[in-house]
Parts: sequence; structure tokens; C-alpha cells
Amino acid sequence: MAPTPFTNEIKTLRFLAGEMTQGDLGDKVGVTRQTIAAIEQGKYSPSLEVAFRIAHVFGKPLDEVFRWTNGIA
Amino acid sequence: MSFREKIHWVALAGLVAAFGWYFLSYPWEIANSRAGMYAAVWMLLPVTIIFLVPMIAGTTYFAIRTPKEANLQEDEREKTIHLRGTHVAYYPLVLGIWANIFALINGLNYGWSVNILMATLVAAELVRVGAQLYFYRRGY
Repeated sequence: MAPTPFTNEIKTLRFLAGEMTQGDLGDKVGVTRQTIAAIEQGKYSPSLEVAFRIAHVFGKPLDEVFRWTNGIA
Repeated sequence: MSFREKIHWVALAGLVAAFGWYFLSYPWEIANSRAGMYAAVWMLLPVTIIFLVPMIAGTTYFAIRTPKEANLQEDEREKTIHLRGTHVAYYPLVLGIWANIFALINGLNYGWSVNILMATLVAAELVRVGAQLYFYRRGY
């Protein structure tokens, strides 16, 4: 399986947000803990809506949570 | 492992146990007769019990252990896994239907027809559940 063409800072942001767990973030965003884990590990590309929800939880703009790494195809 | 993934494992075990018993116990020597057809239909009763008992027990057990997860709705990743698994299972379903048409044309009727359709359904379900478990394990 090809990894997602972007990295993310979710793990760091969770840590900085009082060591928020994947389950807590999942509850706030409306997805399961396993889905947060898959996004963090770059195994799953979230929808734009979930990406925005994650960024909103941390109070960050989207491009500070997700960073495109593969050039523009 | 998520609640839904656990339920998929239980379903896989139930399918293998129920239909494994069915296909091993079916009286194949009378398959091409009306009695063979009735045998297949009657055997569906224990098959249903063998399949449903572990499903109900497993679902209840995991729901009691992780009630929060059990009450969660499918999220977008799980919905995608669900749809992809169903899509993959379409192919054995089509193959099975063609096999049944071929069998009917060649004089295999009654119990054979029921069993080919049953095997088609079981194969499609095994592929669906297996594919979904694979996607759950892989992350997507």
C-alpha cells in the first residue's frame, strides 16, 4: 500500500494538547480511535471534512497539521 | 482491534463452522433429486443456528466489554472498508451465478442448483468478510 503523499503533525499536536489520546481526538472529531491511528501513521487519507475537524480541535490551520510532501502532481 | 473488526472475526468463524459442517454433511449422492433439494433446505435450520449462536454471543460479549465502541456509528474509514469489501465480493457472486447457469444447462438440478447457489453465497461472504478484515488490518 502506498503511503499518503503528505505527513501530519497529529501525534505532536496531541502531545502538546495535554497528551490527548487518540481516543479523545477521535471522540472530538467523530471517528474511531483506529481511524485516528491510521491517519497518524499515514495509512489512511482522511476526507477534507475530517482533516478540517482535526485542525479545528487543535486550533491550527490545515497546513500546519497536514503537509504535502510529494510535490504537486 | 475495533469492535467492528472483532465482529468480523466472529462472523468469519461462524461462516466457516456453519457452512463447513453443511458441505461436509450434505448427502451428495441424492443431490440431483427432489429429496436432495429438500435436504439442503432442511439443513439450513442447523446452519442458521450454528452461525447465529456465536454471532449473538460474540456481539453481546464484545458489546458488554466495550459498550462505548459498540454504540459508535461507522466512521468514514469503516464505511469505505465496508464498501470495498462488498465490491470485491461481487466477483465470486457473478462467477457463482454463471456456474449455476452452466450446471442447469447441463442437467444438474435440484440439490445441485441449491448447493451451487449456497456455495456462491458462502464464497462471496467469505471474500467480503476476508477482504474487510484485510483492510481493517492494513489500516484502510
